[in-house]
Amino acid sequence: MMRRTAWLFALLAGACARPSAVRVAPAAGGACRLDAGRASHVPAVTVALTDSVDPAHAPVPLNDAERVVFGQLYETLLRFDCEGRPMPGLAESWTSSDGGRRWTLTLRAEAQFWDGAPVTARDVVVGKGGAGFTLSATDARVVTVALARGTDSPPAFLADPALAIVKPAPDRGWPIGTGRYWVTGATTTPQEIRAQTTAGDTLVFRLTTGRDPRDLLDAGVDLLITHDRAVLDYAATQPRFATLELPWDRAYLFAAAEPPTARLDGLEQAVRAEARRAEGPFWWEHLDACGPAPAPAPAGTASAPAQRRTVFPRRDGAARDLAGRIAALTHGVAAGLAPADFARALAAGTEAGYVFPVPRQVADPCRAARDLLPPWPSMVAALVDTRSRAVVRRGGSLWVVDWDGTVHVAPQ
Amino acid sequence: MTFRSRLLVAFGGVVLVPLAVFGLGIRREMARRVGAQYERRVTSLVAVIGADVARESDGIAGRLGALKDALAADNRFRVSALQGGERSYLLDYAGSAMRLAGLDFLQILDDEGRVVSSGHFRNEYDRLSAAPPSAGPALVGARTAEGTFLALIRADSLRLGAGTESRGRRFTLVGGVAVDSLFLSRLARDGELAVSVVLPGDSVAPDSAGRVVAELPYVDSTGASVRQARIVVTHSADLLTALQRNVDTWFAAAVLATALIALLLAGWLSTRISRPLTALAGKTAAIDVDRLDVVFESDRADEIGALTRLLGAMTERLRTGAARLRDMERRVALGDLARQVNHDVKNGLAPLRNVFRHLTQVARDEPAQLPQVFAERQGTVESSIGYLETLAANYARLYPQMERKPTDVNAVVREALRHVAGAEHAELRTELPDGLPPVRVDALVLRRVLENLVGNAVDSLEGRPGTVTVATERGDGVVRITVADTGRGMTRPELDRAFDDFYTTKAGGTGLGLSIVRRLVLDSQGALRVETEPDQGSTFIVELPGEGGGGHVAS
Repeated sequence: MMRRTAWLFALLAGACARPSAVRVAPAAGGACRLDAGRASHVPAVTVALTDSVDPAHAPVPLNDAERVVFGQLYETLLRFDCEGRPMPGLAESWTSSDGGRRWTLTLRAEAQFWDGAPVTARDVVVGKGGAGFTLSATDARVVTVALARGTDSPPAFLADPALAIVKPAPDRGWPIGTGRYWVTGATTTPQEIRAQTTAGDTLVFRLTTGRDPRDLLDAGVDLLITHDRAVLDYAATQPRFATLELPWDRAYLFAAAEPPTARLDGLEQAVRAEARRAEGPFWWEHLDACGPAPAPAPAGTASAPAQRRTVFPRRDGAARDLAGRIAALTHGVAAGLAPADFARALAAGTEAGYVFPVPRQVADPCRAARDLLPPWPSMVAALVDTRSRAVVRRGGSLWVVDWDGTVHVAPQ
Repeated sequence: MTFRSRLLVAFGGVVLVPLAVFGLGIRREMARRVGAQYERRVTSLVAVIGADVARESDGIAGRLGALKDALAADNRFRVSALQGGERSYLLDYAGSAMRLAGLDFLQILDDEGRVVSSGHFRNEYDRLSAAPPSAGPALVGARTAEGTFLALIRADSLRLGAGTESRGRRFTLVGGVAVDSLFLSRLARDGELAVSVVLPGDSVAPDSAGRVVAELPYVDSTGASVRQARIVVTHSADLLTALQRNVDTWFAAAVLATALIALLLAGWLSTRISRPLTALAGKTAAIDVDRLDVVFESDRADEIGALTRLLGAMTERLRTGAARLRDMERRVALGDLARQVNHDVKNGLAPLRNVFRHLTQVARDEPAQLPQVFAERQGTVESSIGYLETLAANYARLYPQMERKPTDVNAVVREALRHVAGAEHAELRTELPDGLPPVRVDALVLRRVLENLVGNAVDSLEGRPGTVTVATERGDGVVRITVADTGRGMTRPELDRAFDDFYTTKAGGTGLGLSIVRRLVLDSQGALRVETEPDQGSTFIVELPGEGGGGHVAS
């Protein structure tokens, strides 16, 4: 629980700290590998998705399915594995100078967009930037990052999907990226997204919206990420699948103008997904460098709610469970809102309370705070952490987990 | 008011008033029976609704019994509940069981009344819930995350872990169905009934209290206390009102139709009854002293037949009397004529006697003067002789000989008008339609009649400009000849004596013209009428029937 009273502009780059380490268990043969036994190269890999995917969101994902798809298609300068170690992305090497305040990254020599155009440093830096850092193109392959405060390791925002290197497609469909897999509108149907490599490997994302994911397991998929107990129990009965825990990648917050009237503990029992009591440290606890505290809601824009209710994003089951429990404890009511309505309600601050998820790990806490947290002075309490599990086909591709819980096909 | 109208009114009074009274009585009885039937139907429906509520309650109890058995047999639940194992299984248990059992409300409470598992509101676990009634149905205000809903519940209990040394733990299953608008409309079945739940504190209008189907314990969402709630059936009076209005409409239509038929029947009957009387009246109106040829005959055996026969007998007596009267009149006329002839002849003979006496005296006393005296008195002799001849001619005209045969009336009219003298100041008009049937009459007699009437009409103008119109037309079995003038007309006394012999208002008139016309018309079996107004003119109407017709004169 934290009371945010003041925000500062992130003049210091140290506000964007290195990601904390996450663990993937079991972790034999590599800390960030999803070990489902002996892996092999599979030219055609199928991933089942339990959410919808909208190319218009690319490269910044808005749900778990988009995180899996976009993470596979679009590259950032660097990646961080589940231990927080920097890994090559579009940049193949990096060095620091000036006490860690200046980082120089060299792009892959053969880096090119899907349409064959070479990727230059200018493509990387144009239009990019953020609080506490600047990007500049030193030459065609070298990008320089200047920070306000020196760091020992590359800053995490270099793996921020918002800084992924893309350019718009002529058909205004999928943006053109630089990743190994490419996709176009021609390879996309309402049922599946077919991504390919120049080497002929295929990655098929099969959408399960409106279908029972167990049917996809029966049909044969290489990866399914879910927190549905029924699906996980079913997968456990299938010897060809291994069920592996993923990092605690999401935290559910309760935000309100006033402290709740009841103790909000033990809420992990209220969530039907795999949950635990929220464990810090949390990125939203260190926002002093991000700027001044948000101003109170303008008078007259926020009216007192007619009923004491706790609202939540309608499609989020865990948020619904938590809001229901809070309603039971506070003798209030819970109400699910459509995503856009919830965002408006959160911005207005007119409800008694808000329950919503945030990532456990963010590349840019200041931007995440601006995008995800209430803009008005509020009490924010972390209720629970949740995580999903990966159902991986034994003997299939090798999968690795990034620092933010994104699952990738391991590069060959 | 005519007899027919009186008959119609009487019939209406006799038929319609009892009909209206009878109809109102029927309508009242029908309304009473419809209302009573409707009340019986509502009563039976209320009983059915009450049975449905009880059946629903029993169904809930049955499902709870099955759930209790399943719960007792569930080792995973037993371990979780008694040994504190898998909490999520406990929390999710009621939700799965509620859906499987088709319930909308399910709580599993421990022996302290805390929610162990809730199906309709998973995350209300550990909340202290009000103890439901141990037996029988009840209503509860059930909480969910989104709000509250009303549920009809039953409760059951089981004990787990009871051994020789431990009494175990007692769990209470509280299950139910949502009492929402769908549930209530399903209970109502019929659109005219409305089932509602009246909770403690609800304000109910006195006139909409309805009928209580069931009175159940009620526990609100706070579980503060147990009070009584009622399931109430209200029924709208609209259907009954519409039914009664429908009955009234059909009743009014039936009464109106019956009244209309009665009026038509009354009209037909009154017409049927009054028509012979009207015919009798018409025939009676046609009876006149000079027209007694009206025949009253009837085969009817009723009063109208008797009246017809009486009128026939009376007419016959009138005919006999009229014949006697005419005979007497003729005799009187002959007497008058004889006296007149005697007087006239004496008047004509007196000069002759005087002349002969003078001549005799001259022949005896002065024979030589006889030729001179004769010559002097010859004029007197000739004048007297002429007077007598004229007198003879005049009397000869009183009784012409008739030769009746079919005659074209229009042709005779045209011929008569050609010989009208002294009509220079008069405008003669004729209206002679074609196609008149011939009448059986002496053409010369008819011409003489017409000459007299037209001559009188011209004379009535007294030398002033005017019109004389002669028209013919077909009448009811007669041919009607009208001679109308715009002359001086006649006063009532003049009219009364107009047909008397030797009565005249004209200088130099003989006073025999109209008398002769009258006799000629009567002898031709015709009729003569006069319509006259002083200074307005006179209209003489001659009606000549076919063969066998009589004649009369009227004014």
